[in-house]
Amino acid sequence: MSASRNRELLALVPVALLLTLGFAAVFAQNDNQLTNLSLSYGLYFLAICLATHIYIRIRLPDADPYLFPMIALLTAIGLVMLYRLDSETGNELARDQANWFVFGLILFAVVIHFLRDYSVLERYRYTIALVGIALLMAPRLPFIGAQVNGAYLGVKLGPIAFQPAELAKLCIVVFLASYLREHRELLVVGARRILGVTLPPLKHLGPLLVVWGAAMFMLIVIRDLGSSLMFFAAFLALIYVATGRLSFVFIGMAMFLAGAWVIYQTVPHVTDRVDIWLDPYQDPGGAGYQVLQSMFAMADGGLFGEGFAQSMVLIPGTDSPLLPAAQTDLIYTLITAELGLFGACGVIGIYLLVAARGFKVALMANDGFSKLLATGLTTVFAFQAFVIIGGVTRVIPLTGVTLPLVSYGGSSILANFILLALLLLVSDRARREAREGV
Amino acid sequence: MDYEPISVALKFAFLAVLYLFLLWIANSARKDLKRNRGGDADGDATLGAMPAGGYDAWLVVVRGGGIEAGTRFDVFGGVTLGRSADADVAFTDRYASGLHARLYPRGDRYFLEDMNSTNGTLLDGAACNSEVEVRDGSMIEIGDTAFRFELDRP
Repeated sequence: MSASRNRELLALVPVALLLTLGFAAVFAQNDNQLTNLSLSYGLYFLAICLATHIYIRIRLPDADPYLFPMIALLTAIGLVMLYRLDSETGNELARDQANWFVFGLILFAVVIHFLRDYSVLERYRYTIALVGIALLMAPRLPFIGAQVNGAYLGVKLGPIAFQPAELAKLCIVVFLASYLREHRELLVVGARRILGVTLPPLKHLGPLLVVWGAAMFMLIVIRDLGSSLMFFAAFLALIYVATGRLSFVFIGMAMFLAGAWVIYQTVPHVTDRVDIWLDPYQDPGGAGYQVLQSMFAMADGGLFGEGFAQSMVLIPGTDSPLLPAAQTDLIYTLITAELGLFGACGVIGIYLLVAARGFKVALMANDGFSKLLATGLTTVFAFQAFVIIGGVTRVIPLTGVTLPLVSYGGSSILANFILLALLLLVSDRARREAREGV
Repeated sequence: MDYEPISVALKFAFLAVLYLFLLWIANSARKDLKRNRGGDADGDATLGAMPAGGYDAWLVVVRGGGIEAGTRFDVFGGVTLGRSADADVAFTDRYASGLHARLYPRGDRYFLEDMNSTNGTLLDGAACNSEVEVRDGSMIEIGDTAFRFELDRP
């Protein structure tokens, strides 16, 4: 079915064009000149994508044709925005990010090469779960852990800093998918209806309680509402797909809200975050500064935005940022400020379409583990986008997760390319079986 | 030369290409759905809002197997039946093989396949050689154990 590969090839052309247009606009604005440098950047990008495309064509000929171009588009938007920031701050984040993009694609190829039969993941599920938990705990360990704005998300090993939560999310989804594949019956068999609500049998509530406990534990230990919400949402989506019982989802949500409320009352850092979310004006120059600047910058964007490289990211005449952490937390704000409501909706549209394709992969898959794996990976990806976009637009408390593939950050890029590799592996098998009529 | 109009034009060009790209992908995704709905036997994407396992289906123990009659096993993305602890539906029956048979969905239908068992599998009294479609109410017999298949198709 090379028709789908041809569509993938075709879709990469507008992606490279968008990167070229973005760079050209930043050049035109900053250096007041149109050089053909933007064209060469676009061509480099296209060449890298083409190499990946050829690799996919050989190894996964039946995989979904749109996932890779959309992921490449998100990376392209991130590169343009980071380059635009570099032009004012003098950093070289865009070059670093481009290197991470290439590393990410190499890792993507390695994962596809070694996990052709991804069901081996099921065999090592407890090891994978342990690795995931160890990764989550690492930021709290002495010497290597690092606290950023009160949340424990980073790890520093000498010169290398990374966010283990990004990789941990993959481990946990793989574990939950394989665990629920095997134990889903236990949750459904013997379920009884009480007052019209289907309750799982008490003795099998165990796993539910353990995951709930883990999410609450994360909230206390890592103090990050965003990641804890992301994990729990993925878990609820998996439980729903595995059992088809909406009541489990509602019970889970009620448990999460109850737990989060108690923690809000008791853990000071979480209390601060939530209070700032509810009323950022209580400390406009301090704790509320970031979210307030984010909202003003987005308002400046209007319908079509101020244009590439035209919004204010530094306080004029100084080196201090007007938009704190514009390269990570607030990159969505920056996109809204420069491309307006339409640009921002376009970005959300890409995430929605990625999620739609991901769930399509889950629908097409033929065995339980593949279905659950694709569902979990898609949910965790989409929810991460929701958590950070919701955070900067003040829908939920702002927390420090990255906007997948757009924000600056090596661990985020690497983890998301592993995620893409797994999704394409599931998709390739499902579509091949559908084509051959298994 | 004034570059202001050029950067404005580039911004709108960027937005236009972005939206055309999204529309194109959304449109082909929609066509994909339609094509699958149109009488394709596999009908993989027709499950729509259903949980990803397809239609809810169960195996209900009728007799034997060392399991209380009336016990229900959920069939999701395929199950294996047999005496081995590795089987998804594990039961004790001296005529059953370790992994005796498997039951799996394809599109909105379910199929039974005997996995080269020693003593064979009966579907509604007939020997099951290759894959056979199972319907709502079908009886699956393995040795002294009997299951009734229930399909919850709306």
